Amino acid sequence: MSATVPLLGLETEYGVVRDKVESYDVVEESMRLVRRCEMKSEFGNWAYSRERSHQDMRGFNVSSLAQDEEEDSFCAEDRKRPYSYWEMKSDRVLENGARFYNDHTHPEYSTPECGSVFQLVAHDLAGERIVAECARLRNQEGEPGSVQIFKNNTDYIGHSYGTHDNYLISRRLPFEHWVERLVPFLVTRQLYTGAGKVGTELRHDNSFSGLQLAQRSDFIETVLSIETMTQRPIINTRDEPHATANKYRRLHLILGDANMSPYATALKVGTTRLVLTLIGEEKLSPPVELENPVNDIKTISRDHTGTVLLKRVDGGTITPLEIQESYLESVEKNLSGQCKEWDWIIREWTRTLDELQYHPEKLADRIDWAIKKDIFSRFMESEGVGWDDPWIKSLDLEYHNIDPERGLYRGLEQTGDVVSMFSEDEVTRAVKQPPEDTRAFVRGLAVTHGTGKIKNIHWTGIEFTDGGFIDLSKIVTSADVEHLLSSKKEQYPWL
Amino acid sequence: MVMNDPLRREEKKESAPDRQESGPSSPDVKRPGRDDILKRMKKVDPKQSEKYKQRTGQ
Repeated sequence: MSATVPLLGLETEYGVVRDKVESYDVVEESMRLVRRCEMKSEFGNWAYSRERSHQDMRGFNVSSLAQDEEEDSFCAEDRKRPYSYWEMKSDRVLENGARFYNDHTHPEYSTPECGSVFQLVAHDLAGERIVAECARLRNQEGEPGSVQIFKNNTDYIGHSYGTHDNYLISRRLPFEHWVERLVPFLVTRQLYTGAGKVGTELRHDNSFSGLQLAQRSDFIETVLSIETMTQRPIINTRDEPHATANKYRRLHLILGDANMSPYATALKVGTTRLVLTLIGEEKLSPPVELENPVNDIKTISRDHTGTVLLKRVDGGTITPLEIQESYLESVEKNLSGQCKEWDWIIREWTRTLDELQYHPEKLADRIDWAIKKDIFSRFMESEGVGWDDPWIKSLDLEYHNIDPERGLYRGLEQTGDVVSMFSEDEVTRAVKQPPEDTRAFVRGLAVTHGTGKIKNIHWTGIEFTDGGFIDLSKIVTSADVEHLLSSKKEQYPWL
Repeated sequence: MVMNDPLRREEKKESAPDRQESGPSSPDVKRPGRDDILKRMKKVDPKQSEKYKQRTGQ
């Protein structure tokens, strides 16, 4: 476990539709999908009172967020529904320590806190299995049409939903220190983390046609913001550490894509963690400052080579590949040889940048945008259609369908045509079991053994109906987990 | 961290560095599945993306 970035997590909002029917209610579909989950779970007892979403990293509080307006709007428009906003959320905490609920009409799976990148990727895949199983069960209920679930980030007409990557980092360094060193990396990591998107959703310029590297790049409007539904930022400033507040920050990144390729997810989280480690250990000098990083995100997304020129504040130019290579060089120099997982990340990051530069066709078995480019190009050649044909956008959507019978990525998995990182057994284990070396283990045990005894539950703690409370906010390291297990055993024999 | 301002080093399209093969095993380069995926793609409703409407999330 990394001391500098000890905990990691991923939140994924899925798209949901009922197809082959005239109309359907997306609120109902998302809610009923989550409620169909048959896993052992704590239902309806999420501790919203422990949320602190209005505090900003820059040292102030905001009075309201766009998500508050969405909640007000739901309450105003949907008064006729036979359930409240909170009942609609259908909160579940699962036996593997994850959270699964209906967030803004999207089924959302938030992984348990993980200590390693590979563990996190396995739990992200577990989320896919859990959501897909809920859809399968819903589709056995005999209603017209069928529920289809998409692990993506857009409906192609301007509605985006997120995949957020989270990292526990130290509060010792000023927030600006992290921002200054992180922005060029985040703007350019889409070279390998982009899930690919056909077309554009920029309000002021719809002239682009073809494949973009990333789904979210069109939706990034500013460098820093606490908002997540409007004014989406490169770095979200929500100051909600879910841990001891005077020791930690939680870096909440909302600019990333939902990757179908687990290799791409591993690279996304792995490279980001290593860069954060360098920053946290003060081993990274201030990198180049980009003149317009928000515009650069869109520019980079529209170029498949990583060689487009970006303007620097000092008057020069630099390419996305050069920025990534520079970060990689620092990571390699300072962090190689420390553990197998970090060495894997460094090796694969190196390989990916090399192949993007010299043999980009080789990325077509593990980087989502490159896989799409390869299969869509073959399809267009076969059918005599171009990027502007609506059929290609439909293929783009179907790539993200998690139904094994329909999804295009699922099809490539079944034929062994994309890189596989985990066995089915490993993913099945993550569906059922929490990581053993993080506080999620305690949460998972509580869900498994505490049926009927839990008053409310949260990332930071579990309150019991008898007045007992397990504080998870201070449980960061595996030693903390072991100490909690031994010290509370008498009070909670199931630990 | 030092970054060059290569105005503009013309891209050196050299051969890729000779690196030891690493990481997860890559599938067969013949890509036999790419024929199967063509069949699956042809079954996709061309209008599917036009019908796909979601609410804004986070």
